[in-house]
Amino acid sequence: MTALLLRIAPLGSGISLFGGVLGVACVGLFKKINVGLVRVLGLLSLALAAVFVFAHPATGSISTLLQADAITKAWCAVFYVGALPFLIAGTWEDEVAVLLLLGSLLGMTFLAFSANLLMLFISLELLSLPVYLLVALTPAKGKPSWEAAIKYFFAGSLSAAFFLLGLACHYSATGGFLFAGNGSFLDQVAFSLMAIAALFKIGAVPWHFWLPDVYEASEPMLSGFLSTSVKAAGVFLLMRLGQYSQGSFISLLPAIGALTMLVAAFAALNQTRLQRLLAYSSLGHAGVLVLGVGAWLLLGANEKNALPIFFYLFSYVFMSNGAFFFLELTGVSEWKDLRGLGKTRPVLAFCFAALALSLAGIPPTAGFLAKFLIFWQAFKAGLYVPLIAASFATLAALVYYLRIVREMYLEEGVSTSKIAAGTGAVSLIVSLSAAYSAIVGFLPWILSAFQRVLG
Amino acid sequence: MILTLFWAFPIIGALFTLFAPAFNARARWISLICAVMELYLVLQAGTGFWSGHLASLSEPGKFLTYGISYSFSMDGLSWALCLLNAFLTVIALLSSWKQDLSAGFWASFLFLEGAVMGVFLAQDLFFFYIFWEAMLIPMFFIIGLWGSENRKHAAIKFFLFTFFGSLFLLLGILALVVFHHQTTGVWSWDMNILRAPNHGLYAILAFAAFVVGFGVKIPLVPIHTWLPDAHTEAPAAGSIILAGVLLKVGVYGFLRVLLPAFPDWGMKALPWLGGLAAINVIYGALSAMAQMDLKRLIAYSSIAHLGFCVLGIASRTAQGLAGGSLQLINHGLTTGALFLMVGFLYERTHKRGLADFGDLVSQAPLLTFFFGVTVFASIGLPGLNGFVGEFMSLSGMAKVSLPIAVVGVFGVTIAAFYLLPAFQAVFLGERKPASVSPKVFDLDLREQALLWLLIIPMFVIGLHPGPLLNIVGPAIGKLIL
Repeated sequence: MTALLLRIAPLGSGISLFGGVLGVACVGLFKKINVGLVRVLGLLSLALAAVFVFAHPATGSISTLLQADAITKAWCAVFYVGALPFLIAGTWEDEVAVLLLLGSLLGMTFLAFSANLLMLFISLELLSLPVYLLVALTPAKGKPSWEAAIKYFFAGSLSAAFFLLGLACHYSATGGFLFAGNGSFLDQVAFSLMAIAALFKIGAVPWHFWLPDVYEASEPMLSGFLSTSVKAAGVFLLMRLGQYSQGSFISLLPAIGALTMLVAAFAALNQTRLQRLLAYSSLGHAGVLVLGVGAWLLLGANEKNALPIFFYLFSYVFMSNGAFFFLELTGVSEWKDLRGLGKTRPVLAFCFAALALSLAGIPPTAGFLAKFLIFWQAFKAGLYVPLIAASFATLAALVYYLRIVREMYLEEGVSTSKIAAGTGAVSLIVSLSAAYSAIVGFLPWILSAFQRVLG
Repeated sequence: MILTLFWAFPIIGALFTLFAPAFNARARWISLICAVMELYLVLQAGTGFWSGHLASLSEPGKFLTYGISYSFSMDGLSWALCLLNAFLTVIALLSSWKQDLSAGFWASFLFLEGAVMGVFLAQDLFFFYIFWEAMLIPMFFIIGLWGSENRKHAAIKFFLFTFFGSLFLLLGILALVVFHHQTTGVWSWDMNILRAPNHGLYAILAFAAFVVGFGVKIPLVPIHTWLPDAHTEAPAAGSIILAGVLLKVGVYGFLRVLLPAFPDWGMKALPWLGGLAAINVIYGALSAMAQMDLKRLIAYSSIAHLGFCVLGIASRTAQGLAGGSLQLINHGLTTGALFLMVGFLYERTHKRGLADFGDLVSQAPLLTFFFGVTVFASIGLPGLNGFVGEFMSLSGMAKVSLPIAVVGVFGVTIAAFYLLPAFQAVFLGERKPASVSPKVFDLDLREQALLWLLIIPMFVIGLHPGPLLNIVGPAIGKLIL
C-alpha cells in the first residue's frame, strides 16, 4: 500500500495542486470572495504537493511519461519556495491570480517529473500560459496591463515554436519522443533548437529582449516570481536537454552565459528606474546560471554535481524576491527616491543593502557563496576564458550595486517614500530574505544540507 | 569553540547593538563592553603563549564540502595580532566617546573587529577569504558615513581598489587549490598543506596574483593610491583601525599564506619583493615630506613603515622575520597614537593642516609631550619600539642583500626629515594669530589615559622586546630559509 502510494507520489503532488486550483475556483463561485480563504487554500495545496514530492524516494522511471531523480526534488523545492512570497503577500481582489499561480506551479511540477519530450513540452506550455495572464492581470503602477503581457506572450510563442520544431526534428531522427537521442546531425539540430527555447525562457543573450520590459511592467512582487520560479523552470529545461543531447550546443553555453553577464552589467549601468535595473540584474544572474549549467554538463552532468546550480537558484529565490518586494514595500522607483533612506529607515535600508551586496556577490553574503560555487565548477571544467569575462562582468556590475548602497547611505537627501499600511507580510519577506542573504555566507556548512537533497 | 567565539562574539555584539532597540540607545556602552570583553578573552587565551609552554591553540577542523573545512588555529603571531586588534578597537571606540554618533558607527567597529579576528585565526583559505572580504563592508561605511568632506569619493575608491585586489587573491587561492588537486587528487583549502609548483608560468602567475592581492592591503607602491584618501577622509577612530590593524592583514597574508605556499619560488622572488619594499620605504618617505596635511603625512609614513615590515620578511632570516613581525605591532601602536592625537586636534579645531597650528606647546603641553614621544618612536629612536623593529628588519636584509638594506637605512633617515619638521611646525614653531589657529585645550583625563595605554607598550617593547619576540618566534621559525 505504501509502496503504491509512493509510486503515485508525483501524481499526488500534481493532484494536490490541481485540487488547489479547483478549490480556489470554487471559492470564486461565491458572490463575496474571501481572499484569505483563497490564500489558505493555495498554501495548503502547495504544502501538500511539497509533502508528496519529498516523500517520494529518488528513483528513476515511474511510467513512460514520468520519472523522478534528485534534481526533480531539488527543483520542485525551488519552484515552490520561489512562489511562496507572491502567494503569501500578493494583494488581489479575487481568486484569479492564485488560480493562475497554482496552475503554473502544476506545470512546473510536471516539468520536473517529465520523462518524455512531449510531456516536457506540455508542461512547459502549462507553466507559461498562466504566467502571461498573470502579467496582464497585475501590472506595475501606471503601466498598461496588456503591453508587457503581449510581448511576453509573443516571446513565449516564439520559444514554443523553436521547441516544436526541435521536437519534430527529434521525432524524425529517432522515431520517438524519448529523451535519449541518437547523435545524428538532425538530432543535434533538434536538441539545439529545443535548447534555444530553454534559453528564451531563461532570458539569455541574444534571446533576452523581452525580459527587461516584462519585469519592469509587472508588479514588483510578480517580477519576483518571474525571476525565480519561472527562470528556474527554464534552467531545469536546459539541464534536462543537455543531459540527453550528445555534444552540439553544450560547448556554446559557457560563452552564452558570459556574454549574457557582460550585456546585463553594461546595459544596467545606464538605467535610472530601479525595477528595470533589477530586471537587468536578473539577466546577469541568468548569465551565471547558464555558465553554471554549461560547466555542469561538461563535468558529466551527474546529480550530485548539480549542487552549485541548485544552491544558486535557491539563494537567488531569496535575493531576487527580497529586492523586488523591497520596491513594492517602499514604492521607490528612481535613484533619488533612495536618498537618505539609511537615516530615515535604517532597518529597511540595511535589508536592501544586504540584498544588493548579496546580488553583487560580495563575501560574506549568500550571493558570494552561490556565485563562488558556480565559478569554482567552471574553473574545474576548464572554462578559463568565459570565467575571465564573467569576473569582469561581476566587477562592472558591482558599480551599480554599490550605487544602491551609496544612494541610501552616502548621498544627502530625504527619501519621500511612504510605507503603505497593511504590508506586514511584505516587510516580513524583505527582512527574511535579507537575513538569509546576510547570514548564510557565514555558514557554508549549510551546503551539506543542500547536498543531502541531491543525494 | 573558544576560537569561534573570538570572531563570532564581536559580530553578535554588533548585531545586538544595531538591531535590539533597548541596546540601540546605549550603543556606545554596549559596544565598549563587548570590545573590553573581547580584549579580556584574547588576553586570557594568551597566558600559555606568555609562559612559553604553548605553541599553538587549535580547534579540531570540521570538514564541510568541496574540501572546505571549518578550522581555526592560533599561534603566537596570530595571538599578538589578535591582541593588537582587540586593544586598538577599545582605543578607537574610546577615542570617539564624546562625539554624537549613531549606533551604526559603534556596531561597524565591532563587526570589523570580528572579521579581522577571523582573518588572523582561519586555517582554511576559503574562510580566510570570506573574512578578508568581510572587513571591507564596515570600513566602507566608516569612511563613507562618518568621514570628512571628501568621504564619498574615498569610500568608493577604497572599496573598488580592495575588491580588485581581492579578486586576484581569490585567483591565487584557486590556483593553489587546483594544483593541489592535480598532484594529490584531493580537494583541500588548508593553508598548512597547500603548496605551489616549483617552477613554470603557473607558479609565477599564482605568485603574482598573491602579491597583488595582499599588496593592495599593505599597500605596495604602485597600488597604494587608495590609502592616502581613505586615511585622510576616515574619522579618527577609523584611521586608527585602518592603519593599526587593516594594513597588517596584508603582511600577515605574506607570512601565513604566500611564503609557506611557495617554498622554492618564494626564494627566487625574494630580491624582487625586497626591492618593492625598498621602493615603498623611499617613496612613502619622500611623499610624506611633501604633505601639508597632518593626516596625509601620517598616511604616507604608514606606507614607508609597512615597507620595513615587508623588507624584513623578504630577507627570510631569523632577525628579518622577527623584526618584520615586531614592526607590525610597533606600527599599530605608534601610528594608532599619531592618528588618535590628530583626531583630538581635529575634534578641537576642525583643522589638521601643518600651517594651521603653531606653538601648541604653550597651550597644550601634555599633547606636545605625547606627540613628541610618539614621533620619536616612529622615527626609530633607540629605547623606543620603532628602533628594535627597524633595526632587526634591516640587519636581516643586510645579510641577504646589502644594497637593499642601505636603501632602507636611507628611508630611516628620511623619516626624521618629515616627522621632526612637522612636529616642530605644529607644536614648537611660531604662534599663529588667533584667526588662523583657535585656542587648543589640553588633554582631559580620558584622552591622557588612552595615550598612556599606547605609549607604555612603546617603551616596554623598546627596552625589553624579548618576551614579544619569544611569542612570535615559533610561528615564524618555520619560514626561515
